[in-house]
Amino acid sequence: MCDYTNKNIYLPYLTTVTEVIDETPDVRTLRLVFQDDKVKETFSFRAGQFAEYSAFGAGESTFCIASSPTRTGYIECCFRSVGRVTEELRRLEVGDTMGVRGPYGNSYPVEEFYGKNLVFVAGGIALPPLRTLIWNCLDLRDKFGEITIVYGARSEADLVYKRELNEWQERCDVRLVKTVDPGGDSPEWDGKVGFVPTILGEASPSADNTIALVCGPPIMIKFTLPILEKLGFSDEQVYTTLENRMKCGLGKCGRCNVGNIYVCKDGPVFTAKQVKAMPMEF
Amino acid sequence: MKRETMQTYITQNNLNALLDSLIEAGVRVVAPRISAGTPLYEPLSNSAEMVMDQLPRRSAKEAFFPVCEDIMSYKKEGQQVSLTDIDPSRFPETVMVGVRPCDAAAIPVLDAVFSWDYKDEFFLERRRKTTIIGLACTTADDACFCTAVGISPSGTKGSDLFLTPLEDGGYACEAFTEKGEALITGNSLLFSEATSSKSLPIAEPESETFDLKKVKSWLDEHFEDPLWDGIAVRCVGCGACAFVCPACHCFDIVDEGTEKAGKRRKNWDACGFWKFTHHASGHNPRDLQPKRYRNRIMHKFKYYDDKFGQTLCTGCGRCVRICPVGIDIAAIVEEISKK
Repeated sequence: MCDYTNKNIYLPYLTTVTEVIDETPDVRTLRLVFQDDKVKETFSFRAGQFAEYSAFGAGESTFCIASSPTRTGYIECCFRSVGRVTEELRRLEVGDTMGVRGPYGNSYPVEEFYGKNLVFVAGGIALPPLRTLIWNCLDLRDKFGEITIVYGARSEADLVYKRELNEWQERCDVRLVKTVDPGGDSPEWDGKVGFVPTILGEASPSADNTIALVCGPPIMIKFTLPILEKLGFSDEQVYTTLENRMKCGLGKCGRCNVGNIYVCKDGPVFTAKQVKAMPMEF
Repeated sequence: MKRETMQTYITQNNLNALLDSLIEAGVRVVAPRISAGTPLYEPLSNSAEMVMDQLPRRSAKEAFFPVCEDIMSYKKEGQQVSLTDIDPSRFPETVMVGVRPCDAAAIPVLDAVFSWDYKDEFFLERRRKTTIIGLACTTADDACFCTAVGISPSGTKGSDLFLTPLEDGGYACEAFTEKGEALITGNSLLFSEATSSKSLPIAEPESETFDLKKVKSWLDEHFEDPLWDGIAVRCVGCGACAFVCPACHCFDIVDEGTEKAGKRRKNWDACGFWKFTHHASGHNPRDLQPKRYRNRIMHKFKYYDDKFGQTLCTGCGRCVRICPVGIDIAAIVEEISKK
């Protein structure tokens, strides 16, 4: 048996799947509880950090830790089934065992955001890396100014965390602007219709004393950054995460680099200023 | 203050006797030997297998970083999984003999990767348990370019003990570390006073010395450059250059087994492979071979230097010898150094 005293940096913790939630037809959330009591007690992480999740026999996949560090006793991951490992992870049921290595990487400098307004901008499956921070901030609500969330997906069916979108919509201390791409709406849709960058422009949050946090597919980020610039955001006020392919998560295996920046160690959280200084290799 | 090195002498017969006594005592002795017609660094069963006059086809790195190694095993019963860890303390005491200066110099380069921040005990425990006996080169071929990257065919970087072949058939020995000294003092009857016999001629590669600072400063400014499209169009992405390289260290982590039981392994990987950086979404930041080859050059002569202040190439020339399409990294770096 493993007692984690051999200092094997590749050895995952064992966790039990305690909840399985289908976010969309192919995106799933797993809630995980560490099996080792000591690990359960001592495991801590910061919003923005990621982990390596094992489906034993298939291998490991890299995702962010999607739950908030303020919610202890469990962690959650959220993934789309697109490959061998994620197909296997999808087969896990409540009570099954899954491996987790982490937490790895840097994190959002949450304390630096105290007293500021926050604008979250997310597209599709990229809400989980912001959702960890959204709940982190909502659980410390007094420490922040206005909180705006602009979230969109191709269609209503592609929106993740639908139950939480409703919760945010009902809160009076959060401004949620949800949208679907043109053609992705049903007659019952009560949100906006349009691409995320356009809807962000219309929502027009003030850049004054505000931090913007942007996660989405490269195309969304490409069109969102100029909108933020137009709204008056400087590149230091904008944060995003990079999602390169990784294996070790430990700064050794050599594949996640963008130029001389190692996403697993130097990231995954970067300011727009840092991203703009990188070579186009992500 | 630089400490005094221990200098002594050993005959070929006594070197063989030393290795045989180590093997007898259960020490793993790794040296160049002929395996299926090819010289490779491999464990010896006796000293007579050792060949000192041929550069091994693969580098010395695999003594510390095997091409494929188990990092744990798993077993599933019902909903429970049990993991079995690998205990690095079971790795054998090892003496490596006849390690070429280009190979020995790459070992401290790998140390930096496996020991910064998170410690990879698979590599580090093997390192702690290994004594490296370097050997000066008395032969070089057209592909050798160690001197061009600041390594010498009589360079002692990375060696605990260093052997210089002498005209009388013996070796001048110099110890640079406690491990090297321990090997001499623990077997003092086999070593004798340094002799007046002259060293055999050391084989200096004929290539020019690169101005590595200049190469790096060009790379700092030329991530985008027509050069990249030109040099690697013919690269077939076979990854052989990375596999024979003493300093390349990229790896993959894969499960091998069934859903019920199996092993997790760390396998060598290469930045030349298309799949190396391929995202699950289908996006690939290094989607074309020239982008992958650029990463190879950048990592060796810029990124590694940015992080650890050294070059990730020791000029062994193996990648030049093995490339199926004749890509010559030395010629490329020389071209860059003249820009």
